Amino acid sequence: MRLTQFLLSKVGKYSKDYSNLPDRYIKRAMEQVEWRNPKGIQYKPNAVAKRTKYKFAMHRPWTSQFREENAPGVHHAKVFVEPIRKWSFFRGDRVEILAGKDKGKQGIVKQIIQERNWVTVEGLNCVLEKVGERKGFEGAYLQVEKPLLVTEQVALVDPSDLQATPFEWRFTEDGEEVRVSTRTGRIIPVPATAEETIDYKTKGTYKEQPKDTAANDVTQITFEPKLQTFEMDVMNSMGIKEDRVPPKYYWY
Amino acid sequence: MSTRWYPIYQRGGPQLRVFLPNFWLKLVRPTHEQPPNIVQFSCSMQMTKYDIRNYLEKIYNIKVVDVRTRIALGPTRRVPAKGYVVKDEDIKYAYVTLPKDEKFVFPDLFPVDNKAKEEEEATIKQSKEGFKQFLEKNKERPNMPGWFSI
Amino acid sequence: MFKLASLSSSLGKLTLSSLNNYKNAPLVRCLSVSVPQRGLMEFFDDEKNWGATEVKSGRSWKKEELRLKSNTDLHKLWYVLLKERNMLLTMEQEANDQTQLFPSPERLDKVEESMENLEAVVRERNVAYHQLERGETGERPGRVRTGPFGLKSYHKMCQYLIPQHLNKKHRETHEEYRPNKDTEDFLLKYREKLYLTKKRKQRRNFNHVIGLLNRFPNMDMQALKEQYPDVDIEKAKASRRHRGHFVPK
Repeated sequence: MRLTQFLLSKVGKYSKDYSNLPDRYIKRAMEQVEWRNPKGIQYKPNAVAKRTKYKFAMHRPWTSQFREENAPGVHHAKVFVEPIRKWSFFRGDRVEILAGKDKGKQGIVKQIIQERNWVTVEGLNCVLEKVGERKGFEGAYLQVEKPLLVTEQVALVDPSDLQATPFEWRFTEDGEEVRVSTRTGRIIPVPATAEETIDYKTKGTYKEQPKDTAANDVTQITFEPKLQTFEMDVMNSMGIKEDRVPPKYYWY
Repeated sequence: MSTRWYPIYQRGGPQLRVFLPNFWLKLVRPTHEQPPNIVQFSCSMQMTKYDIRNYLEKIYNIKVVDVRTRIALGPTRRVPAKGYVVKDEDIKYAYVTLPKDEKFVFPDLFPVDNKAKEEEEATIKQSKEGFKQFLEKNKERPNMPGWFSI
Repeated sequence: MFKLASLSSSLGKLTLSSLNNYKNAPLVRCLSVSVPQRGLMEFFDDEKNWGATEVKSGRSWKKEELRLKSNTDLHKLWYVLLKERNMLLTMEQEANDQTQLFPSPERLDKVEESMENLEAVVRERNVAYHQLERGETGERPGRVRTGPFGLKSYHKMCQYLIPQHLNKKHRETHEEYRPNKDTEDFLLKYREKLYLTKKRKQRRNFNHVIGLLNRFPNMDMQALKEQYPDVDIEKAKASRRHRGHFVPK
């Protein structure tokens, strides 16, 4: 597969963190398998025909809108995405907008679309979109935030003087990697909202669901090292005795 | 040894045991009408009648009188937008007979909640009307801010 | 340890009475909760989740958490996970048949991930035992074998009752590869094909890098190099399609 397409076809870490879904599910939900070779002895054992190129835009890969956007038979023009070494914009960051009709305004990062180097800023850079138009109802207008490129259309705001600033990733003396404003030398902390997901605000405030294992039970250590395999140990504890020795066999 | 390798059996050797079975079993709505004590399952293709019986008796603690199985041909379909024909995988179905006095009716898992639906529709209608009223009120006074009203 | 606990599949909610083999087993403290018999209704979700649009759940069990648990606990947990998976598969099938929404399909992946992790941990323990006792992994052996077309592939070995030199049928069906004119010809063409595919990929990447250079002249070159290690960036910069058809100033 093409390397660029391979890189594009991966969903960025920061664009899926908020949803708190397992990677396995995201992969399964966005995959469009036309046909897969059945298991067994085959000329091509793991052959699979599936869509390889996806268009990533505002809709998240596990949604039906994404599936609609990438429906079978729909092809999109190639998109050039500027490579970035380290992602530096997180949910809850205060940023200044450098382009568009809201140029110069400051706002909070609301959503990250890492595959396109995009962020949306809460309440800024909006357009009006008409929704719900049908017979007998003219439809209503909604304000929809449009994405901004992190490379040139937004800048981080220095917390000391609330001005836009260029920044760098540097290490503190404790070995922690932080963003530092190159203008004032102040650290720009990563906001607490960065670890927020749809299921909890912070890991500490997670509300346990009825089928969850209690945290105490998870951390309780019941393992005792024994000179036994898993099977031998389970048979022991169930009182199954087996002293027959397997006759000789050959591997080839 | 990998947990998924089932060793060869030779007479006089130890009994072969499965400790972590990875067979799956789905309870499905019966394709045809069945007596009340017969339940239809779809299961892993590798499962035999004995496996199904043991699985239900040991893991689910269900009494099983008889098990019959069949393999249904997987449906063929056209791939969307491409048009070539593919065949889906075959499905193994198991018909499990429970004791005579037991009954099983497949439950209705998607109860129609008319009340919630009506409420939802009513709120949508209400908000639509509210929006219409708002438009009607502001028709005669263009460029007037929303807060400027009596 | 944060409180984010694992999915469904809880040790605490284990249905002990459903596992005959455990009736006489000493109960671990955290496992002493038993749940009343539900019989076939165990194949269905909790009744209050019927017709729901979303069912919340925790994350899957991680390997490092499973490593803390004894073999017996893992064995019990496996059956809890197995039942949960069967339940989810049943609910998914019924939702598909009724063209209804299956709430929170990621639960299935969480359960399967937990099962994979559990199996991996069991395997680790068994390998450790075999390494200690016999100096070998105890895994199913395998070797790289040359097939009839001269292509190499990994062959997982099988168990047989008699050694290979006595197994006439096996010898007849699994002949050793001997190079001959036909396979040599085939391999030449095959290698050429692989080479051309590789070259095509390199050229495509090269062209893509030129496209990137044209669009983002102030791009981070280090990042570009990391993303396209096989592309000579200096060459791409010097190419006519990047700098245009004129003499540089």
